[in-house]
Amino acid sequence: MIESFFSWLETSALGAFVKDQGATFATIEAVHLMALAVLGGSVLVSDLRLCNVVLTDVPSKTVTDNAHKYFKISLIVLLVTGFVMLSGVAVKCYHNFYYWVKMAALAAGILFAFFVRAPLLQRDHAELNPMTLKLVALASMSLWFLVAASGRWIGFSG
Amino acid sequence: MRPQSPHEWARFHCGITRELEASVLNSLALRFAEWVDSLSISSSLHESFYLYNWIETTHVLTLMLSLGMLFVIDLRMLGWWLMDVPATRIAERLNRPMWIGFSIMIVTGILLYVAIPIRTTQSVWFRLKLILLVAAAINAIAFNKYLAATGKTWDLDKIPPKRARYAAGASLCLWAGVIVCGRFIAYDWFDCGKEMSAFMNWAAGCIASAAGHH
Repeated sequence: MIESFFSWLETSALGAFVKDQGATFATIEAVHLMALAVLGGSVLVSDLRLCNVVLTDVPSKTVTDNAHKYFKISLIVLLVTGFVMLSGVAVKCYHNFYYWVKMAALAAGILFAFFVRAPLLQRDHAELNPMTLKLVALASMSLWFLVAASGRWIGFSG
Repeated sequence: MRPQSPHEWARFHCGITRELEASVLNSLALRFAEWVDSLSISSSLHESFYLYNWIETTHVLTLMLSLGMLFVIDLRMLGWWLMDVPATRIAERLNRPMWIGFSIMIVTGILLYVAIPIRTTQSVWFRLKLILLVAAAINAIAFNKYLAATGKTWDLDKIPPKRARYAAGASLCLWAGVIVCGRFIAYDWFDCGKEMSAFMNWAAGCIASAAGHH
């Protein structure tokens, strides 16, 4: 069923548009990378703050609360551009190991961000164990780096 | 048609001089690329599947750190992010992680050039990327001077001054251009040897090399 969805997606009007219009795929790829940079900024500025590496003289809650909005915006852009890119090479992606690694990491990253990290960071940070905050930050950075790295490797294989 | 007036002769000579200069620059760039290509490190990088791909992956991953921090600073200067924190503090504190990221990007970028020097030298996108990088650097230097001179006077203003917003907007546009050009280098739309306009041949610096490359 999943395979037939991927086949259908590639033959859909969207898939045909992405494949047939010369620079469309490359342009969407570039927008995807810009959104990745914004997501990277929002994740790293918050997580490095939680690890006491940057902006140590700014309350961590101020940094994380501000960054979450841009995290959500960039994530939406990444998901939309990612889906459009997928439509052009859906069958290839279905058979690509790194695509599924990326999807697993992405699902884990989203679930972790919205169901673990965000609810935890909404609380008063002074009441939280500093080690818990650091572990959450390390897990968050690791997940998003895994998403980005596995995404790049899709292009190197298959 | 021969130039008639002294003014036309002057323009004619200027045109020839510019063409010669461009041709000399392109020849020098190509000779340098051919020399890099002859180094053993170039073929080692190019032929190693894992080494080359990991260098490229690191180049992209560091974008999250370098451009990520830069975007935070620029969005702050635009008045869109972290407005309850002084602008100068954001710029000062995020400068170091941003430069760590840029340093890794520069090293991996040079290694990527070394791996494929000739095609990269004759890539329109690579050339445009370098121009945008220089423009972004000039913009950043000018803005840092302005920030150092005046930053404390508008640090917590609800709307940062026009100059700060323009510089941040320019920075975002220039870096978006760098990302687009960087991504487009991989595509062969304007590779030398392909059917393309005289302008694109000129922009890519397509001249035959001693080694027989285009």
